[in-house]
Amino acid sequence: MAQQIRDNERPLTRQEALALKNRRTLVTVFQMSWILVFVSLVIVNLQIRSTIQDLPALTPIQFIPPLLATAAILISGWTAHQGVKAIRANQRDTFLIQWRYTLVLGGAFLAVMIAIFIFNPYVGIPQYGAIFRVMIGYHAVHALVIGGWMIQVFRNAQAGAYSPRDYWGVEAAAKLWYFVIIAWILFYVVLFLI
Amino acid sequence: MATVTAPLPGSVTVHEENRLRISDYLKWSVDHKIIGVQYAVTALFFFIIGGTLAMMIRWELLTPALDVAVDGTQYNQFFTMHGTIMIFLWIIPMWAAFGNYLVPLMLGAKDMAFPWLNAFAFWLIPPAGILMIMGYFAGQAEAGWTSYPPLSTLFSPGDGQTMWAISIHLLGLSSILGALNFIVTIRNMRPEGMGYFQMPLFVWSILATSIIIVMATPFLAGGLTLLILDRVAGTGFFNPAEGGNVIMWQNIFWFYSHPAVYIMVLPGFGVLSEILSTHARKSIFGYRAIALSSLAIALLGFTVWAHHMFTSLTPDLRIPFMLTSMIIAVPTGIKIFSWLATVWGGKLRLTSANLFALGFLSMFVIGGISGVMLAAVPFDLHVHDTYFVVSHFHFVLYGGSVLAIYGGIYHWFPKVTGYMLNERLGKIHFWITYIAFFFTFFPQHLVGMLGMPRRVAVYAPEFQPINVIISFSAFVLGLSTFIILFNMVWSLVRKEKQIAGPNPWRALTMEWATSSPPPEHNFHGEPVPFKNPYGYGTEAAYHYLEEQEKELGPSYPQTMEPHKKPSLVQAHAASGD
Repeated sequence: MAQQIRDNERPLTRQEALALKNRRTLVTVFQMSWILVFVSLVIVNLQIRSTIQDLPALTPIQFIPPLLATAAILISGWTAHQGVKAIRANQRDTFLIQWRYTLVLGGAFLAVMIAIFIFNPYVGIPQYGAIFRVMIGYHAVHALVIGGWMIQVFRNAQAGAYSPRDYWGVEAAAKLWYFVIIAWILFYVVLFLI
Repeated sequence: MATVTAPLPGSVTVHEENRLRISDYLKWSVDHKIIGVQYAVTALFFFIIGGTLAMMIRWELLTPALDVAVDGTQYNQFFTMHGTIMIFLWIIPMWAAFGNYLVPLMLGAKDMAFPWLNAFAFWLIPPAGILMIMGYFAGQAEAGWTSYPPLSTLFSPGDGQTMWAISIHLLGLSSILGALNFIVTIRNMRPEGMGYFQMPLFVWSILATSIIIVMATPFLAGGLTLLILDRVAGTGFFNPAEGGNVIMWQNIFWFYSHPAVYIMVLPGFGVLSEILSTHARKSIFGYRAIALSSLAIALLGFTVWAHHMFTSLTPDLRIPFMLTSMIIAVPTGIKIFSWLATVWGGKLRLTSANLFALGFLSMFVIGGISGVMLAAVPFDLHVHDTYFVVSHFHFVLYGGSVLAIYGGIYHWFPKVTGYMLNERLGKIHFWITYIAFFFTFFPQHLVGMLGMPRRVAVYAPEFQPINVIISFSAFVLGLSTFIILFNMVWSLVRKEKQIAGPNPWRALTMEWATSSPPPEHNFHGEPVPFKNPYGYGTEAAYHYLEEQEKELGPSYPQTMEPHKKPSLVQAHAASGD
């Protein structure tokens, strides 16, 4: 135990610091790159929409759940950030609580997405209905995969992993979750607001 | 002429201990040098397949009637696979080979930032290539490398077209992963004292290429996903009859594929900068201009895509895209003039590497000029979908990329293997390639302007005489490829090998500051970069190379020093160091 505490307090070696810097750069550049797949789908969506005279207005039951899901995923971003801050401050219990909130909110978001995918409000409009479903499904797959990683991070943390010195797993999961949030905001604006 | 056939004293011990077996290259490895060679050998394999298809195309076009292909569909399959293989499985992976092998060495690093990811990116390529070729048994892709719908959807019933799209998806993923690795490596792993403007220009070119890959390839991924859904899930995103739009695919495809031209040629620019400066024994002219023009090309490359669609584009948009397409010639011109100024007044060594670099310079300029011609809307409308276009992009991609690849092989083969390539064979290879290339592709301008359409197996009889010249030149060009393949194999297996030593070209970039081939972690101790990687002809460069030779041992002296060496100091003075 004492050894572990000493390890946690030891500053990163030059190689460890470089490896961490490399990982952070990789995730940042990857996010900048991969968001462009979402942008390409947005462009296709707008292109198809430009050929449709009148898109039917959404009913309250079609509009409110995605709005609530958006609120949920935005709050989950904040709780994930609090989780990262907690693990950096060596407050494992706080981390587990915040991360649990994140998972619950993320799960709620995903459930709404699955419902929207199944009960597609634009199913009667051939290509627009299809691109709507592709966008929802594509985003949901990302949320699912990264959510799965966050569950694994949670389990690791419960088993004692991560420390203020070594919390890359938490940081990476949080950063990818932020990516899911930003991608969703992009989609939400296009699919439900404009 | 002094020919060293015996091992050079001092270089042998290091050289032998770094030797790898063939089996080392056939398995998973995270060593960037092994991965670089794996990329290169894989790309060369696909180059032969793509080249064979080119020969079949030219055989078919020897006469105006159908000869080789049983019908037009099979001919479509020939050029579809030829174009796709040459772009996605030859040129792009070959540049990944150069980048993987050289970037860490040029930066003085032990490896890439993410060795495992590097290996994973490579190992996506063989299955993707096999998947694409296996499409032959499922109804080969036949919609051209551009895969325009409805040709690639409604009129390509075979599953080979779907396999093609999945294969391109995998190759795109491989490219993105490789590019991410390059960006992180270049940003974070430069040694102390090497700022961005002290990096070798080849590293700059790989950085610019990687930026294009990570920004453009995701668009192709999005488009391909929709194309696959159209083929397998019954959607109609690109089918106007179902409310889709075929032009949408063209926009997405060219938003990736025009920048992809720069993905294929920017690393060649980097190779050229290295070779011309080293073999002219002269500092590169306009270092910053060359470096920044790579970035300018990378950014401007995203503003020109619709010039591929002038005939289908809204007329109002033609002029803006014509202007951007012409503007992109400016940074390219900056490079061309900088290279000319580099060789001007230099002590030019007409080595095989340098001949190919000079060949690139001359042929790429022709491709560039015809590119500016095609950027002009009235001319483009006239020659759209003719052999003029075929000629233009082969001058860029063969006269540019492939000649640069050859030059790069002659330049760095000694570093990779520890052995020199045969210079006489190299020069024979150059002259046959250069002449045959010119007579293969230049006459295509003429038939194009006379109206011969591309992508046809049956053509008007009046075009036959020129097509005969083109086809026979193409056969010679195809055969010339085997000269370099033979040269590489012969250099490795002949009894009296020409040991290269660490720095046979007396170059100043860091990959030469280690033994050939380099040891497992690249350098013996901590490498110190020379302050100016192109500072040839200076006192400091002379002393740097002197110290390097003392430390690492002598190198193959045939090409960079005079034949009758009166004294070491005079020899160095003559070699421009």
